[in-house]
Amino acid sequence: MLKIDKLHVRTGDAEILHGLTLTVNAGEVHAIMGPNGSGKSTLAQAIAGHEDYVVTGGRIEFLGRDIGELDPEERAREGLFLGFQYPVEIPGVNNAYLLKTALNAQRKQAGKEEIDAYEFLKLAKEKMALLGMDPKFLNRGVNEGFSGGEKKRNEILQMTVLEPKLAILDETDSGLDIDALKTVAQGVNALRSPERAIVLVTHYQRLLDYITPDYVHVLSGGRIVHSGDKSLATELEDRGYDWVVATAEA
Amino acid sequence: MNALDIDRLRAYVDGLPNSGLDETRRRAVAALAASGLPSTRDESFKYTDLAEIGALSSAWLKQPARPAIVAPTRQRIAALTAKTDIDWLVIANGDPHPALAHSPAAGIAIERLSEAADPRPVLEPLTALNAALLEEGLIVTVAASPLRPLGLLVIDDAHERPGLSQLRVDIEVTAGQSLEFVEYYVSTGDEPHYSNALLRLNLGEGATLRHLRLQNRAIRHSQTQRLDVALARDAAFTSASFDLGGRLTRNDLNVDLRGAGSRAEIAGLYVSGDGQHIDNHTRIDHRTGPTRSGQEYRGILFGQSRAVWNGKAVVHEGADGTNAEQANHNLLLSEKAEIDTKPELEIHAEDVRCAHGTTVGQLDEEALFYLRSRGIDADDAQRLIVRAFATRILQTAPVAAAKPRLDALLDARLATLD
Repeated sequence: MLKIDKLHVRTGDAEILHGLTLTVNAGEVHAIMGPNGSGKSTLAQAIAGHEDYVVTGGRIEFLGRDIGELDPEERAREGLFLGFQYPVEIPGVNNAYLLKTALNAQRKQAGKEEIDAYEFLKLAKEKMALLGMDPKFLNRGVNEGFSGGEKKRNEILQMTVLEPKLAILDETDSGLDIDALKTVAQGVNALRSPERAIVLVTHYQRLLDYITPDYVHVLSGGRIVHSGDKSLATELEDRGYDWVVATAEA
Repeated sequence: MNALDIDRLRAYVDGLPNSGLDETRRRAVAALAASGLPSTRDESFKYTDLAEIGALSSAWLKQPARPAIVAPTRQRIAALTAKTDIDWLVIANGDPHPALAHSPAAGIAIERLSEAADPRPVLEPLTALNAALLEEGLIVTVAASPLRPLGLLVIDDAHERPGLSQLRVDIEVTAGQSLEFVEYYVSTGDEPHYSNALLRLNLGEGATLRHLRLQNRAIRHSQTQRLDVALARDAAFTSASFDLGGRLTRNDLNVDLRGAGSRAEIAGLYVSGDGQHIDNHTRIDHRTGPTRSGQEYRGILFGQSRAVWNGKAVVHEGADGTNAEQANHNLLLSEKAEIDTKPELEIHAEDVRCAHGTTVGQLDEEALFYLRSRGIDADDAQRLIVRAFATRILQTAPVAAAKPRLDALLDARLATLD
């Protein structure tokens, strides 16, 4: 599904990722944890194709294809989804319009017919009910005036409507109260399937109480320094990051 | 002083057939002989150079001719006025006679300006130019609120040679009546053209006027327009202006809040691309209190283009309890585009609430990436963001009957962004 090999990424004048290697197979859920500033968000943005994050070495393969030269929209239409840490407010662009346009762009890519307005509304409302979202959010501007929790739910809504092959959720748990966290986790769990992979980028272990990862990786200093199963998350919660980083450097 | 050939102007005016406008014309020529056209040394024309317009006017005066209204123009008029649920007056190449051919809607009376009693005072130079060269204008009186909006379609042809046209319409909405009014400016032909318009809107006590102005001129057609609005007690003026086309566009909107309780809400959107220059000057006079005015203009600039916004509110002595707000926001999509924006407040009263704000920004790259990360093409994403920026002004636009046309024009204009 996703194969990252010795990836170097620069933003501004600074190199943030120094040869990161990671393989994610279909059906797997990976958690990438690490201290602040370790490069977690850089990794997420680089995979999605943000042009401020320049790949200076190594490669990113998605579904067996090097996606380094692809635009962000091309990556998205191939089935890659990034759930933003800070979803952007776009007043004046209707939330429903964005969802429908995004879905149709993907369907077009897959050689499918565009979804009609009625079918779309049915689908969107069904997914919103699942996430406990009021349908009135459909008619608001994209994330306009949404609370932090509402923005994160809106990301998960987009994900469940688009049904990506690979979802990367960047700090989706930050700023959520426990109820919102459970709802978001429910949305993610509903998407788990043998054909799909999910990468959770998170600082805290608490999201992993509700979404059980198959693998946990520690990102530090721009590299993955340690990998393990879900018990690693608990250990990190108990002992902090310092010991892993120290062990890796030793 | 800009190059306007006064001798030719005088000779042309002297040769016009006698009419009730003669006295005004003479005074206008005298005023222009003294002042010339405004130059960039005049504060209010600092960023807008009328040299091209002066040269075009002089060239036209050398060989004056008003083109006949050709069949394609007639067809265009028919197409633009069909199925709109609006009663249209048409002024073609400055000639309001086609407008008079239509019988006005019930409650509306239309007279010829040349048959009106009083010579008009000549104000600043562009008004004087209008008064000197105008051959006919319209006086519209709304005695009873009409069922449908009133439209003014202004179309100018410049096919074989450069053109020049003047336009004058006065509208009076009598006490307690209401009117929806649409101005729509279009042009045909590839030769340069200059149109100089003067409109006066008078609102009686408690009258309301909902006004929409669409300007979609051809790229070689320039236009100056002065719109004077006077409001009596409790009258209300709601206006939205859309400048999408044209080479040089200069709008002077003057609102005179004369009566207590009168209010004006003014919105404008300008889209300026390669080779365009769009200048909006507004002045709102709060002569008494309480009165209220709100202005919001938004600009989208791309390519090699320029726009100017100068919004002024004057709160006169004794206009206590005035509320005046001004905002101008601009989106610059090109490094070669330039905006000069200036809000002005002049306050001589007490208990006044005034606020103003201007911004100049570029395309929000994070919003662009967000949309692209959802599979939307970069071009489409940009258009979405730009249209979203215009949405606030679109939403305030009055006259529902003109909405479909407005939406279509704006979409077509924004489709040319690059």
